[in-house]
Amino acid sequence: MRPRLVPANAAQQPALQKSLDEGLGEGARQAVLLDAPDASRHIKPKELWIAIHLPWIALEALRLEESNVARDITAGPFESLAASNDSRREARTALSRPVAVVEIEARAQYVIAADEAAHRAGVRPGMTLASALALLPELQAQPRDLRREQALLEQLATRALRFTSRVSLVPPDGLLLEVKGSLKLFGGAKKLGRAVIQDCREAGARVAIALAPTPLAALAGARAGQSFIVVDPAKLVGRIGDVPLLALRWPLDILDRLEKVGVRSIGEALRLPRAGFARRFGKESLAMLDQLAGRGADLRKEFRARERFRKRRDLTYEIEHHEGVLEVLGSLLQELEKFLRGRQSGVTRLECRLKHRHAPVTRYVLKLAAPEVDAERLKALFSERLSTLALPEPVRACELRSGNLIARALQAESLWRPGEHGGGGVGVESSAFIELLRARLGADAVHGVQLFAEHRPEAAWRVAELEAHEATTRSRATQAHAKKSSAKRSETQAKVSSTHTAHPEQPPWLAFRRPLWLLPEPQPLSERNHLPCYRGPLHLSAEPERIETGWWDGKDISRDYYQATDVRGVKLWIFRECADPHTWFLHGFFG
Amino acid sequence: MSYDSPLARLLEHPGIWRGRSMAAVDVVPTGFPDLDRSLPGGGWPRVGLVEILIPRLGIGELYLLLPAIARLTRQPSARWCAWIAPPFQPFAPALAAHGLTLERLLIARTRSPLWAFEQALGSNACDASLTWVRRVHAREIRRLQLAAERGRTLGFMFRSMRAAQEASSATLRVLLQPAVQGAHVTLLKSRGGLRGSIEVSWSVVPEK
Repeated sequence: MRPRLVPANAAQQPALQKSLDEGLGEGARQAVLLDAPDASRHIKPKELWIAIHLPWIALEALRLEESNVARDITAGPFESLAASNDSRREARTALSRPVAVVEIEARAQYVIAADEAAHRAGVRPGMTLASALALLPELQAQPRDLRREQALLEQLATRALRFTSRVSLVPPDGLLLEVKGSLKLFGGAKKLGRAVIQDCREAGARVAIALAPTPLAALAGARAGQSFIVVDPAKLVGRIGDVPLLALRWPLDILDRLEKVGVRSIGEALRLPRAGFARRFGKESLAMLDQLAGRGADLRKEFRARERFRKRRDLTYEIEHHEGVLEVLGSLLQELEKFLRGRQSGVTRLECRLKHRHAPVTRYVLKLAAPEVDAERLKALFSERLSTLALPEPVRACELRSGNLIARALQAESLWRPGEHGGGGVGVESSAFIELLRARLGADAVHGVQLFAEHRPEAAWRVAELEAHEATTRSRATQAHAKKSSAKRSETQAKVSSTHTAHPEQPPWLAFRRPLWLLPEPQPLSERNHLPCYRGPLHLSAEPERIETGWWDGKDISRDYYQATDVRGVKLWIFRECADPHTWFLHGFFG
Repeated sequence: MSYDSPLARLLEHPGIWRGRSMAAVDVVPTGFPDLDRSLPGGGWPRVGLVEILIPRLGIGELYLLLPAIARLTRQPSARWCAWIAPPFQPFAPALAAHGLTLERLLIARTRSPLWAFEQALGSNACDASLTWVRRVHAREIRRLQLAAERGRTLGFMFRSMRAAQEASSATLRVLLQPAVQGAHVTLLKSRGGLRGSIEVSWSVVPEK
């Protein structure tokens, strides 16, 4: 559904002045809002929410500074939607003329927001673009830019973090601030409200705000343009009674049905019988009314500011050697470390950009397995990469950009080194080692392996991601398991020697009947007298083992596997296809 | 000499090293009792570089190491077992059947294994590391040996037996030659161990 934008001044409905308290009569017990017990009337609110509504966000987002949007593109979810440069330039030049933001719906273009000049000329949200142009021929129509709207919202949310740590986004055009703890600091609700409005205006957004003990009530108030301040939960219902239901943004069909029974405001909806309301308008709507009145929990996802490190060092001289670049990078990394330590976080992605006089920027992205802080370690990783990197030209500037910050739990370091008596096992070295290898050899060149339950040999294993920290506990568990199961097995299978305790997932007979090396593809063998040859005739040493499986996915195999020894004593794993033409293949070496 | 005598106890100290003695160095059993008896301390050294010289790949050189490697990966708080530049793809089910904990296995593919091998030995992140090399100089072996001591790692390096006559500073040099049921192991260099050839066997003939 297209979110409806309700401009602050357009949503004034004939207010129902009748207070709820007066209205509660005989039928009150069945009403959606049950009469609250007296005791609760003096309870202090648990939370206080300021809702910020941005009625003009579609317009204001278009004026957003280029750089602010660009910064969000780097990691934003709307990367692919990045508008072309042309349309942005158009957007800037167009702002001197009356502007309307339009959105295409059902093949027609509708105006969803109009600036003041357009508004004066009679252009209203909901009009088709054709009628708006008829009223105002010089009207500049702009497509809606959701990416910029999101960027503006996040920008405002980041600014709002100075009022409270609990900020949440209500896309597409709202923000919620939980301010109970901030009232005293900012000198009360009124002053805080004014500060919030002022702050948003500085960021280029005109807003409507409302303060209430529940987030939904505050939102409804702000959207309806009723800038109320309700601190006492007992007075909440009385105050929001005349807010139109439209502000709750329920589905249109529900609103239509409510309107048919004459219910247009929140107060009227609250007076409807609960059971009937849930049946006719859905449990979700009832739950929302409960949240609105403060009787149902309303959990909001907290907004976290995207914080990154970005620093550039312009050089007064040109650097030609890797050591020089590393020197500059080292000082930037030192600053990064200070920045990260202050925030108790680390980075898993670092980008280094080296600028040249003419050649395009040399760019290198470092990806890490675990959040890293230490400047020395990062420098060592960069030096590995830099030593293999060919610089097209001398370096004139060096820039370091971090990815998102990742909170890092502080760890106490062990007294013993791993491997020593009492050593702590896999630790920092473990992941540092993997990162070092990956930095030099490439991310895919370093991997682990895992088993896969499959009879086809080539499919019985998979490449696995390496786990630096969790593996310790798990290997301990499998070890205990292995001990238990091997004890059982030794009774039945006396042949298995004690040194070859089998993995619990693999039967022990497999140990010497499967090769240690497997070729990626079976390799056809030449034949002499119907016997396979590999660097000379092969000696087949055991009876065949038939593997016939996989008919369900089209890659079915039917093979007789043999162990073979070549003239030089190398043990091979070969097979013969059961189907014609009974070709021999080499599939592995016993190692 | 009985083990109760003060002298025997003193000589067990790992800091005391005696030529030809079964000095009490930290070891990991090879899994082959005959071989254990010939090696100083009764097993592969826990730390250091071991050269394994083979006439060609696939004569059972991995079977010789598997019991020890499997034991290292199974111990609590095991570090990595890094295979640097293996010649083919290690087949996980067979390794698991030999008791290797696959979660501790790390495979690195590279064309220049020496750098990665040195990192594996010296990084303090691996219990054991294996590599397959074509050409390696004596001073590179010295470097690897020092790295292994620094990182407290056991490094196995597979080389061609043509290098048997070259000087090497590895802790242990072993020549492997194929036999019917296993291999002949010749200790070319072993600090304080016995010289000579030992025959080890593994059950290549499958059980019926």
